[in-house]
Amino acid sequence: MRWPFTLKIIGILTLFFGLTMVFPILVGLYYQDQSVIPLLESMGITVLAGFILYFFFRNHKAETISQREGMAIVALGWTFVGLFGALPFYFSDDDFMFVDAVFESVSGFTTTGASILINIEAVSRGLLFWRSFIQWLGGMGIIVLSVAILPLLGVGGMQLYKAEVPSPVPDKLRPRIRDTASVLWKVYALISLAEVVLLMLGGMTFYDALCHTFTTMPTGGFSTKNASIAHYDSVYFDAVFIFFMLMAGINFSLHYELLRGKPLALWRDSEFRFFLGTVVLLVVLVSLNIFGSIYDSLGQAFRYGAFQVVSIISTTGYATADYEKWPAMSQLILLLCMFIGASAGSTGGGVKCLRVMLCFKFCYKQLFSLIHPHAVFSVKIGGKVVSDDVMQSILGFLALYIGLFTFSSVILAGIGVDFTTSFAAVAASIGNIGPGFGLVGPVDNYAQIPYLGKWMLIWCMLLGRLEIFTIIILVVPEFWRK
Amino acid sequence: MRVVIVGAGEVGFHVAHHLALENIDVVVIDKDRDTIRRISDNTDVQTLIGSGSSPIVLEEAGIQNTDIILAVTDSDETNLVACLVANMISPTTKKLARIRDADYDKYHQMFSAQAPHIDTIINPEIEVIKTIHQFMNIPGAVDVGEFADGRLKFVGVNLDKDLRLAGVKLSDIPAVAEKARPLIVAIVREEELIIPHGNDCLLPGDLVYLISEDHKLLDTLSALDKHHQPVNRVLIVVGGRLGFRLAAFLEENSVQTKIIEKDPDRCTFLAENLNRSVVLCGDGSDRSILAEENIRDIDVVVTVTDNEETNILASLLSTRMGAGKSIAKISRFSYFPLMQAIGIEQVVSPRLSAINSILHHIRRGKVLSAISLKGQQAEVIEAIALETSAIVQKPLKDISFPKGAVVAGIIRQEDIIVPSGNSVIEPGDRVIIFTRRQAIPKVEKILSVKLEYF
Repeated sequence: MRWPFTLKIIGILTLFFGLTMVFPILVGLYYQDQSVIPLLESMGITVLAGFILYFFFRNHKAETISQREGMAIVALGWTFVGLFGALPFYFSDDDFMFVDAVFESVSGFTTTGASILINIEAVSRGLLFWRSFIQWLGGMGIIVLSVAILPLLGVGGMQLYKAEVPSPVPDKLRPRIRDTASVLWKVYALISLAEVVLLMLGGMTFYDALCHTFTTMPTGGFSTKNASIAHYDSVYFDAVFIFFMLMAGINFSLHYELLRGKPLALWRDSEFRFFLGTVVLLVVLVSLNIFGSIYDSLGQAFRYGAFQVVSIISTTGYATADYEKWPAMSQLILLLCMFIGASAGSTGGGVKCLRVMLCFKFCYKQLFSLIHPHAVFSVKIGGKVVSDDVMQSILGFLALYIGLFTFSSVILAGIGVDFTTSFAAVAASIGNIGPGFGLVGPVDNYAQIPYLGKWMLIWCMLLGRLEIFTIIILVVPEFWRK
Repeated sequence: MRVVIVGAGEVGFHVAHHLALENIDVVVIDKDRDTIRRISDNTDVQTLIGSGSSPIVLEEAGIQNTDIILAVTDSDETNLVACLVANMISPTTKKLARIRDADYDKYHQMFSAQAPHIDTIINPEIEVIKTIHQFMNIPGAVDVGEFADGRLKFVGVNLDKDLRLAGVKLSDIPAVAEKARPLIVAIVREEELIIPHGNDCLLPGDLVYLISEDHKLLDTLSALDKHHQPVNRVLIVVGGRLGFRLAAFLEENSVQTKIIEKDPDRCTFLAENLNRSVVLCGDGSDRSILAEENIRDIDVVVTVTDNEETNILASLLSTRMGAGKSIAKISRFSYFPLMQAIGIEQVVSPRLSAINSILHHIRRGKVLSAISLKGQQAEVIEAIALETSAIVQKPLKDISFPKGAVVAGIIRQEDIIVPSGNSVIEPGDRVIIFTRRQAIPKVEKILSVKLEYF
């Protein structure tokens, strides 16, 4: 572990991140609101901090980055970005407590979309833009962006990429990591552009369309309106959002294949079929469940049911209805969605369809070998064998996910939060969804969670976004031994 | 540029690593999951698990848009089939294959003229035998290479403690050493590569790279206290494929050869197929057999077993027992820096030879050969100066040459010119450029076409 070198890279990342603050500053200048000064201060501090770190360790060079260093850079890099990203909130006139500012910032970067803001519409435009923009940056990954743009990360980019995009079966779209990263960002930006256009065609202002796109594509869920998407109450917008939330929940390498003119790639992918199948099934179940009891017409039931299921399973977290008033079955299905999550390689969170699917297959393999003790049976995906160590890492991931989920909810309940809330708040944070149940339901927010609880949820969000291993490794003593 | 490499063994791995550092798109195919994991963890390349001779896998690797396919698996047959399939799917791709079986030697031309249309067949063993032969004849050489069809030699030597030229400035050397002035292109001092100027001095312990005309080489080296000793008796440890080839080669050059082999069946084979060599059945690291065969009178011991640790130990043992010098075959690159410290100076590596022969086919511009130095920090490139290139018809001092690269020599027909600031490169000249790895892409650029053409 070469700490000076690691810190130098983190310095570069922080510096680079500080420069992105120029966008909300431009927005603030355009609307001439009070966010400009806090943003300028934050940018100054961030750029300076990054530069000092870089300058101090500038002589430490290395040709490669080891796996351990890659994990440390990504884990610490995200922590730094979360803290520096909180500065604009902290310096603003809307008197954020420090923990609230960090909560809002990390919730943004990790694309959770959990908010402590009670009156969103009162916040200045520049700051709201920043809040949406950090979700967009965090969605495809700030480190993937750096790998794509900064040539100095070079070969080591790969370790960073693997630590930030820890897909169970990593796929490299192009021979070089830098090209892969930039292809992913281009696809991401292109789909985002399409959404902005479609939202504006529906009559949304450019500002709102941009902010909402910046939170749909990374499956974030921040809205510029107090009532979230329910504010617009329009079938057109609901449909556009459902479509783009689904898009964001699909593996981006499939989008890339699609754009290269291979439309069949989508359908050939078994994870995509699983994801779509699950969504369709759950939408039908929820719609039938709320039809009659909540909504009088089947159309209405379908509209709200579909929106909520897609919003939760893609881990976006927009709301068009207060699903806490829905029957128990629908609520439980939504809770289940929080755990399933979107596809691997998408911007969504949760356990990921690929892992769920492989887990089912693995269980079937166990049952099969009880019936045929001598059978040779390998778990396959899309016709390719999944090796034992990949399977093991998936089972390890699940065990850690459930273990950390249980641990954190017990702690939260211990701080004095009620049963439903502590359960749902942790599920919604670790799965990067946003709204949960109880005190943190779709029409409430996280402001009422106690001080310590907020810090714990911040940690959960980071765990979920970097898929457990990259963050949890920091608390393993072995990691720090020489 | 895009390169597909079939086989991620030591050669595939290092070529891939080398190319990836130069920002070339590399796709590596191998059957073995663990080998693939090793390469994808260490190198920025795309990987595919599968058989490189399968058309489906090759299509998946994007063979149609590939400039060069390199088949370097351990199996000659797989390499041939991979090239054959690549030729069917994508005839325009340049094909390079490693073929090691001696039976194919006479048919190399046929493979390029007919069906698989393999552009270049690489046989590292032929290269290694050539290198061993050069090591025997060039005193003190730790690295050798040839330019201009062998008229010009590129040699690396370690300088001894009691060096006569120690502390002498490079610009003063011609005055001190009467017979020949060595043209020193690089010095490796404490693992750091230096491109020297006139004010730099030679120090004992330096590894010095120099270029010399073939007939002046021995004089040049004796200025550096490396004196030639004729090689009359050679002992080869283990008569594997390489040992057998080497023995046959030495027989042709009328050198007395002894060859030690453990396996009795193999010994019979060797005895049947070699004429004048003495075949001994025994262990090459056995003191008694070495003493029995008068190891003191042997000029060179060549250890070419498949196990590098055995090679190292057998070499050390035989020099300790009084052999003139030893040459060891070492494949693992990570051992190279250790060799000098433990007292083995001359090391051959089939893999490094393979990499060198592969590299010059991958270089752009009219590159005739490219030799990478043992530590792989730098390369020596021999290229033809094109009329369109930015380096011609201007004095060297006016050319904005990439940092870390120098023109080490200019060959114009029969003459070899040692360049100075006022030398002018004419179109058609062969230039020898010494360059650090970082500068290679820029060197390629200036060699191919003038920049402003784009």
